[in-house]
Amino acid sequence: MDTKETGLLDEIKSKFKVDGRVQREQRIWISTDGSKLMEVCKWLKDGGFTHLSAISATDWLKDGKYELTYHLWSYDDNILVTVKTKIDRKNPSIDSVVPVWEENAQIHERELHELFGVKFKGNPDLSPLFLEDQEDVHPFRKDFNWREHVREKFYNKENEREAVYYD
Amino acid sequence: MIDEMEPAPKGTDYDLYFGPAHPGSGNFGVKLKVAGEIVVSARADPGYLHRGFEKLMEYRTPIQNAVLSDRLCVLEPLNWNLVHAEAVDELMDIDVPERAKYIRVIMAELSRIQSHIIWYGVFSLGTGFDTGFKMAFGYRDYILDLFELITGGRVYPAGYICPGGVRRDFPNGARDKILKVLDKMGEMIKLEELENPALGARAKGVGILKVKDAIRLGATGPVLRGSGMKTDVRKDEPYEIYDRLDFEVPVRKEGDAYARYWIGIEEMKQSIKIIKQALKELPEGEVIDPSWKKPKLSVKIPKGEVYVRNEVARGEAAVYMVGDGGSKPYRCKIRGPDFLHMIPVLEYLLKGAQIADVPAIYWSLNICPADMDR
Amino acid sequence: MVKRSKKAKTMRKLIKAIWIFSWFNSCGFCELVPLVGSRWDMERFGMIIVGTPRHADVLFIAGYQTLKSIKRAKIIYEQMAEPKVVIALGSCTMTGGMYWDSYNTIKRLEDYLPVTMYVPGCPPRPEAVFEACEKIFGHVKELK
Repeated sequence: MDTKETGLLDEIKSKFKVDGRVQREQRIWISTDGSKLMEVCKWLKDGGFTHLSAISATDWLKDGKYELTYHLWSYDDNILVTVKTKIDRKNPSIDSVVPVWEENAQIHERELHELFGVKFKGNPDLSPLFLEDQEDVHPFRKDFNWREHVREKFYNKENEREAVYYD
Repeated sequence: MIDEMEPAPKGTDYDLYFGPAHPGSGNFGVKLKVAGEIVVSARADPGYLHRGFEKLMEYRTPIQNAVLSDRLCVLEPLNWNLVHAEAVDELMDIDVPERAKYIRVIMAELSRIQSHIIWYGVFSLGTGFDTGFKMAFGYRDYILDLFELITGGRVYPAGYICPGGVRRDFPNGARDKILKVLDKMGEMIKLEELENPALGARAKGVGILKVKDAIRLGATGPVLRGSGMKTDVRKDEPYEIYDRLDFEVPVRKEGDAYARYWIGIEEMKQSIKIIKQALKELPEGEVIDPSWKKPKLSVKIPKGEVYVRNEVARGEAAVYMVGDGGSKPYRCKIRGPDFLHMIPVLEYLLKGAQIADVPAIYWSLNICPADMDR
Repeated sequence: MVKRSKKAKTMRKLIKAIWIFSWFNSCGFCELVPLVGSRWDMERFGMIIVGTPRHADVLFIAGYQTLKSIKRAKIIYEQMAEPKVVIALGSCTMTGGMYWDSYNTIKRLEDYLPVTMYVPGCPPRPEAVFEACEKIFGHVKELK
């Protein structure tokens, strides 16, 4: 069935050689390589996708990779396109998309740098956003167990009501 | 106006912190650099309410997350309940019955009216119109009594809109009570439309945002509609039953604080129209998918990912959920409208403004710090 | 003439009217602001909200506190003049509440500030706040 979404997906696939699928109407998902990310983003922005809805990161601990997702919305065609890439978990760094979407992207990348530790090359300001005096702790990684951390920091082993948590 | 003022003498710049203990600022701080009476630059200081919601949701099952999702933005709990429930429905492929969809829309629109009443009240407080503040919070209690009758809680409904439908049906007599409350809301809107000249003088021509800047900075919702762009997630990408209902989307072209305030009042009228239509067409039937009637603690979330967008009272809200076969979501990213309104848009608008205009600009963006920090 | 100790005399001054400085956190905003409105009117009991802690007698801590905001709350407590009272609203101040496993919220308020009265609830109803104030008045009257 030939719809607007399949037409757009075929155009992207023929131009950039990426993988993709149409999930339902108004949703397209594309996976690409880190080297082609900037070209795909620039082409999409010139094609009407002016609204960057969110940038997110998922921590796949077993594979040793972070997966970054960029969700883009077009006001003219009413379609949402998601672009996904994978980067290495030990030294995560990638080019920033601030030259394409300016302040909107800058604040999302600042949050991801603080919570996951991803370095964005080219972002003018990566200072801490939410946490004060707690540098070098990246709390949203999968190897940081919150329940153990809270038990050590806030509960008291001497207190008999709270000692049950230490069994 | 600013061109007529003389520049301040050299060496008299100072730093001013418009912070959380100020009676007109909420739980959020802004660092201002001021020269004379004019703000030279502003820098936002968030983080007073950061709880780490996204990782808290990874330790809990979907039915437990439904109770936690009320507290994402404390001023409009039912709308955020709805976003989370829709994400789980789509990821786990659940069929929601028709009666549940109508009830969800009615509760979400009542919550939108309640949130706009708060906006009207605190905007009047910030510009010096004290009567509006007291009147708004007096009328808001009618809606909170309705919430207590239907869901059991005045402010937090304890996960009323859950994956699969809604928890329980309307009690007897709820329909007539809703219609009576809507008449009272109509009365209140007539009083609000009587213009107060002091509020008009303080809010017109202040904090102007043009369309190109609004899209570049990431604004959505009433802030974008106040600058001239006609867009609404309920019309662009209809969810639940919004494609069967007939309502309009108010737009203004000036882009100042008064235009945004006027849009809030018009949206309340459209919400009343939506609720009356939904009550007339309400069908009979079940209110929850039969397999979700008894709350299940161990479910199996299939592998996959979804991205769901909704229109809450402040703008565009979205949830990105990833499942990996376990019983808890692997990653749940929450995108709120206030994250963009409070940091880039506010820093841009406060540059070049006078100190006395700072509360009017700040409250016209309809902010909720809990939504930004999560 | 009844003989009262110095402490009882200063505390009885609180009975006439109490001036409140409220440190709203999100959950407190929704249930403290209706107290000022026209349905649960608190001015008839003599309670009023002031804008600076130096004029206030009572500090309301309404809701959960994070590590960043508890430092500011301590500074505000030190700026108030004697005699002063701290009332803690909500279950998050007692045991951590719904965010008991979060790395950034505090679990017990009494480790940081001296609390006079806890009001449980999530959030507590306006009638509960009035009952808490009435108990404080009764306690002050019985002081020797």
